[in-house]
Amino acid sequence: MNPVQLLPVAVLLPLGLAALLLAIAHWLPPRLADGASVLASLGLVALCGWLAVQALHGPVVHWFGGWTPRVSGRPDVVLGIGFSADPMSAVVAAFCALLFALSFIFAWGYFDKIHAHFHVLMLLFMAAMIGFCLTRDLFNLFVWFELMSISAFALTAYPLGRSSLEGALNFTVTNALASFLMLAGVGLLYARTGTLDFLTMAKVIARIAPDPVITGGFVLVATALLTKAAIVPFHMWLADAHAVAPTPVSVIFSGIMVGLGLFGVLKLTAQVFAADAQVLAMVHGGLFALGIATALTGGLMAWAQRHLKRLLAFSTISHLGVMLTAVAAVSATGATGLLLYLIGHGLVKGALFMIAGILLARRNSVDELALHGQGRTLWPVGVVMAVAGLLLGGLPAGSMYAASDLIHESAHSVALMFVLIFAASLTGAAVLRAACRIFIGCSGAPGVEVTAPTERGREQADRPLWLMLLPCVLMIAIAVLPVDAVAPFMGRAAALLLQPDGNAATAIASDHVTLGSFFALALTLALLAASLMRERPTRRFARRVGRVERLPFDALQFLHSGLVTDYVAWMAIGVALLAAFLG
Amino acid sequence: MNTTARIVLLVIALVVLAPAAGMLILAMPAFGHPLSQYGDVVNALAPRLRNISNMVAAVNFDIRGIDTLGEECMLLAAVTGTVMLLRGHRGEDMSERAGRVPGRKQPSRSDATVLLCRFIATVLFLFGIYMVLHGTVTPGGGFQGGVIVASSFVLLYLGESYRAWRRIVLGPALAALEGTGALAYVLAAALPLLGGYAALQNVLPLGTWKDLFSGGLMVAVNYAVGCAVIGSFGVLLLEFMEETRAPENDPVPDEEDE
Amino acid sequence: MSILAWCVAAWLFGIGVYGIVTSRHYVHLIGCLAVCQSATYVLLLGIGFRWHAGPPIFYDHPPGTPAVDPVVQALVLTDIVVSAAMTALLLAIALQVHKRRGTLDPQHLRPFRQEK
Repeated sequence: MNPVQLLPVAVLLPLGLAALLLAIAHWLPPRLADGASVLASLGLVALCGWLAVQALHGPVVHWFGGWTPRVSGRPDVVLGIGFSADPMSAVVAAFCALLFALSFIFAWGYFDKIHAHFHVLMLLFMAAMIGFCLTRDLFNLFVWFELMSISAFALTAYPLGRSSLEGALNFTVTNALASFLMLAGVGLLYARTGTLDFLTMAKVIARIAPDPVITGGFVLVATALLTKAAIVPFHMWLADAHAVAPTPVSVIFSGIMVGLGLFGVLKLTAQVFAADAQVLAMVHGGLFALGIATALTGGLMAWAQRHLKRLLAFSTISHLGVMLTAVAAVSATGATGLLLYLIGHGLVKGALFMIAGILLARRNSVDELALHGQGRTLWPVGVVMAVAGLLLGGLPAGSMYAASDLIHESAHSVALMFVLIFAASLTGAAVLRAACRIFIGCSGAPGVEVTAPTERGREQADRPLWLMLLPCVLMIAIAVLPVDAVAPFMGRAAALLLQPDGNAATAIASDHVTLGSFFALALTLALLAASLMRERPTRRFARRVGRVERLPFDALQFLHSGLVTDYVAWMAIGVALLAAFLG
Repeated sequence: MNTTARIVLLVIALVVLAPAAGMLILAMPAFGHPLSQYGDVVNALAPRLRNISNMVAAVNFDIRGIDTLGEECMLLAAVTGTVMLLRGHRGEDMSERAGRVPGRKQPSRSDATVLLCRFIATVLFLFGIYMVLHGTVTPGGGFQGGVIVASSFVLLYLGESYRAWRRIVLGPALAALEGTGALAYVLAAALPLLGGYAALQNVLPLGTWKDLFSGGLMVAVNYAVGCAVIGSFGVLLLEFMEETRAPENDPVPDEEDE
Repeated sequence: MSILAWCVAAWLFGIGVYGIVTSRHYVHLIGCLAVCQSATYVLLLGIGFRWHAGPPIFYDHPPGTPAVDPVVQALVLTDIVVSAAMTALLLAIALQVHKRRGTLDPQHLRPFRQEK
């Protein structure tokens, strides 16, 4: 088999299946769409994984329509669109497909009554993500980005409840604006460099940088990707959208879609703008600062939630901030950290959203205070949730732990590294707190989370528990696997993303456990204990302390108002911030 | 936050962004003198290599064909999503009569309206088909023509009646047309792979320049896009028009009651 | 003169954002989004424009006649399809919101309620 010939199949297969399902949706027997979708996504996992291995000796490149760069007969003109699979891009694509396969299994039979429309949208969504990973053309990247957005908008609104519709509106408006900015950025870059191909553009930029048009183009494209990746201050839509989308969709959103934004930033910075010192300085300084701010904001907000899906959504924001600090390093260490963290976090967060989905199906709520002790009979779910919470909070095992080691290495200072650990611990402790309340029934007096927004919800409950639990268990199992076997491959893959000629140094991740690696876990457990042993403040002094403690959380809740008009104003501030970082 | 606070934020952003935007605008390539050679090379090569006269079609359907496939799928996703959202709990069955606002008089259709609609609908339909067919030769193409054909359907609603419109315009058939069009595009991309060519490689005979069937595979892709767009916009119009039907048995669900 | 097109694009985007931020009705807001998007049309078409050049269609003129950049025109076509798709989707969501809430004022629509 020839990898070059099979590369386009990674996108054409899901697109073709989606079109076919749509054409015969009206006459299609139920379950057939389920089966076909699971098989297709598993096939894509295999295909992309295989491509990743093939690409170790140099990227696999396919030129659509046979329009190779040679056809134009001029050095800087590339007519056609190329797909280029380097190992890291292919691994990320394979991971997308894996999450889709698991989420199709979780959703088995869930969407019977809507004529396979769910499957059509999900398959288009998957094709868009894979295309986003594999393309080497800037406008083509925008096309996949946009296809990703549009299928995501529709999937979010699907439950047709009040919150899901309003969450979808916020999601659509903010991300639509972001995609317009991206298109404008692509336009600027095309105007200045005369090409859309990554590598050719990089060559032109190396010749003419620094140039205001190039820098402006980068800022606009990066704004769009950071909006998708929910980085402060572009992050506000995420909590609304992820918390209200149907569970199988939330799994994809939090598991990989947002992370792809960061992957896009890293890939573009490394492959297109590597020679532009001004852009690199902004990425190193500005994006790192935004990453720290995002990690902290997300962590605090997650801590102050009671609606489990909303809590998980804010925890995703926090971990995205952690990942952005890895991106900002633009180094082999950072890239390896990003890749492993993307996978580890995606698995853990996907499993947690599925657990929320199980609770929605079985207990009609995901409010940790309302569900107090009601999960006792679902104890296997609780066990999985506890492990997932520990992993988020820094349990020294598996890929997330190995990745955070690398990410902390690229942090600028010890204090900032501590902020990252604290943020992750907050999210882990928040998840564990919810697990203890729901599945054991132990509880302190509720703290800041008691005034957080919440609502009841329900998802269809016609599937056996084991079928819903199976993908969660699988995901957690993969997430705790030792990374030693794959670490050299991942390190090599990350190095090849940064320098396709293979000259970059390779960072080897390791989940080797030392005494120091228990620090994050200890912090998580301490936070958990503090919240569970909390008592209702009776004395005047305790009440005053409580009020002071509430202040920052109230301020944050106030800013996350849920109004799309606010969000857009913050986006404008965000673009201004990025411009200000440039000086 | 209230509107004033938001405007203050916008003004702060403007203060920072205005000088940046100014710098950017002054550094742009001079208007009317593009730096890019991409377009020139396309204009020079495509007529020779593909015997085609419409360069925009050459870019859309051949040189950057995979973009257009993505764009096509965007339309598919949006329409599928819209259908899913609008149908909601209404389902896809049809109602017996159109909706009406209580208390508003409904004059019957005049003969002039019926005649004019029938006439314009036919002309519009044919013009749309013409536009699709000549996509590779003159301005136009699958997207533009498809939208025109689909808009001729609306005149059926206006000129005939809700019932006639529902009887003529069949939802599942349009959806099938939409899916088939997109599928044909995917197959046009995938089949050359089997022969050892690149995806979307123009393997069909290219025809002669300025001929209706010039451009090889582009002709097929253009028709596929035309079908998909007719189907997509047809479905879209159908579902939005369904919103106007009598709502007697369409309960608006509210999660508080569930 | 030569910077007018870029200024128009920036102004369109800015005024669209202003409209969104101060909007009191979702349909108006969706319109403002379309205004923002038209900024990208102006920008892209401006980028491809060439003085004294014809359309990139060689039917009446032989190939070789000066013509504007067909690539950006193709990109704008994609952009227009995006706009149509997005508008349809947004309007569908807005319709459903209106059925449930009876209002389309963005200042009153927020997912989740604060627990009292």
